[in-house]
Amino acid sequence: MLSALDLGLIYGLMALGVYLTFRVLDFPDLTVDGSFTTGAAVTASLIIAGQSPWLATAAGAVAGAIAGLVTGMLHTKGKINPLLAGILTQIALYSINLRIMGRANLPLLRTDTLLSGLRDDRHLGTWVSVAVFAVVVLVFMLALDWFLNTDLGLALQATGDNERMIRAQGVSTDNTKILGLAVSNGLVGLAGGLIAQYQGFADIGMGIGLIVAGLASVIIGQAVIPGRRFIFATLAVVVGSVVYRIVIQLALQAGADPNDMKLISAILVIAALLLPRLGVFRHMRARRRERLIEAAAKGEAARA
Amino acid sequence: MLEVRNLRKIFFQHTPNEKVALDGVDLTLAEGDFVTVIGSNGAGKSTLLNVVAGEFRPEGGTVHIDGADVTKLPVHKVARWVGRVFQDPMAGTTPHGTIEQNLAMAFARGRTRGLRTGVTRAKREIFREELKALELDLENRLRTDVGLLSGGQRQALSLLMATFSQPKILLLDEHTAALDPARAALVTRLTDEAVARHGLTTLMVTHNMHQALAMGNRLIMMHEGRIIYELAGEQKQRATTDDLLHEFEKLKAVSDRTLLA
Ligand SMILES: Nc1ncnc2c1ncn2[C@@H]1O[C@H](COP(=O)(O)OP(=O)(O)O)[C@@H](O)[C@H]1O
Ligand SMILES: [Mg+2]
Repeated sequence: MLSALDLGLIYGLMALGVYLTFRVLDFPDLTVDGSFTTGAAVTASLIIAGQSPWLATAAGAVAGAIAGLVTGMLHTKGKINPLLAGILTQIALYSINLRIMGRANLPLLRTDTLLSGLRDDRHLGTWVSVAVFAVVVLVFMLALDWFLNTDLGLALQATGDNERMIRAQGVSTDNTKILGLAVSNGLVGLAGGLIAQYQGFADIGMGIGLIVAGLASVIIGQAVIPGRRFIFATLAVVVGSVVYRIVIQLALQAGADPNDMKLISAILVIAALLLPRLGVFRHMRARRRERLIEAAAKGEAARA
Repeated sequence: MLEVRNLRKIFFQHTPNEKVALDGVDLTLAEGDFVTVIGSNGAGKSTLLNVVAGEFRPEGGTVHIDGADVTKLPVHKVARWVGRVFQDPMAGTTPHGTIEQNLAMAFARGRTRGLRTGVTRAKREIFREELKALELDLENRLRTDVGLLSGGQRQALSLLMATFSQPKILLLDEHTAALDPARAALVTRLTDEAVARHGLTTLMVTHNMHQALAMGNRLIMMHEGRIIYELAGEQKQRATTDDLLHEFEKLKAVSDRTLLA
């Protein structure tokens, strides 16, 4: 069970990336499935080639970021629809990833990785590894929160919120989109490299359907922690990722076929997308908004 | 400060739907000029402002701001010189950002945006002072989401965001038209105050002839992509809405005659 926490935390990095594109930038980026594997492929190949695991992991993140940059260029400079731009990069990456790895699967079991220490001491899947990964994810989460509150980060948020306004304030939304996609896929590539080291191999198919897992994490997280203030939005994403992995783990333990997991994930996301549109929930949200507006109007009324 | 020379904007050029929106517009604003723009629907008023702001590239003519040729620059580059308020109160702010975040984004207009904190304590003090002048009690709600404000409050905030960073040119496109009369009066007053305080060179489109006469030191009337009537100084002060209506009537007579011809 604790290994589900491990995975949830590492995949949390990927979910943070998905949050940045889907939620903050309002850009449905499908590069993720490819860039995750790219991160894993680059990291694994460099480790096998004898490079330091630190350098290899960083290179995996950079490779992911470059993939995001390509999608960003296709969309902004090439004026290609966001979904198509992401799919094009993703498909192209499949071939590129195979080139990087040289074959469909790269085992890492007898090589030194970032996680060798934990593995040798039998700490993987224990509270020790959970604590380590929690700290790692927390650092990246806080860094992302910090970034989103810089001048540049605010411009990036506004790009997803009101593009015309932020352009009128002097921001090239082409640049903020490219930057956001690069950072997002950098996080995804980092997660890919870490997962490869965690499970002890990189595989050409390891990224398939990940976008759904990322989305599920974002949606579940926002259901569990609805606030957006301070660090709650990003914290929700990480918690969502952990909850998602626990649900998957429970389903497997209950005897679900691992091959059905993608179907279950997709149904989970569909449910999460459709449920809020049901009458009851819509009513609840409308009420909440009304209350907020009332509270906001009170300030005005007090003045008048 | 603003020099518009022989500006032409043609939509759907070389198609059956071709539409000449600007048909050779010449306009010069000296520093501190406040020009109000009136004209019937489709006269080209918004198009003029949009071309100046870099939203559209003109088919002919030039736009210079403060000596710089901005004719071919995209919106985000022209923004270095230009502050804008749109007709739609939702257009000038980001709904999911807080009041202070929105102000911080406007505060950074014309500067390179880097990894410095957007809302610092020092900036927050500036924002609080600026918001006080609006007398909307917004200075005590810096962390409220802008999406929760009323249209009037959002427009007042948009106006502040467009003016407090002291742009070379302020462009206002019917920015009080979507508001109820009380809110429109408030935003009109705030506009006058902001323009006076910063001495802003301003181009303001309005559908309200009283407003066009009461505000600013010059007035232009547009029709079918041209400036067809101008008032300035004392002449403008003496003019009445009847005078303006008279000008509109003359246009109508002309177009009736061409129809008959
Ligand atoms: N983006 C656009 N695409 C095509 N035609 C446009 C566009 N914007 C304005 N026009 C046309 O140009 C003419 C002038 O429009 P506009 O400048 O909006 O008028 P005004 O603001 O004076 O009412 C109108 O005929 C309008 O239909
Ligand atoms: Mg208009």
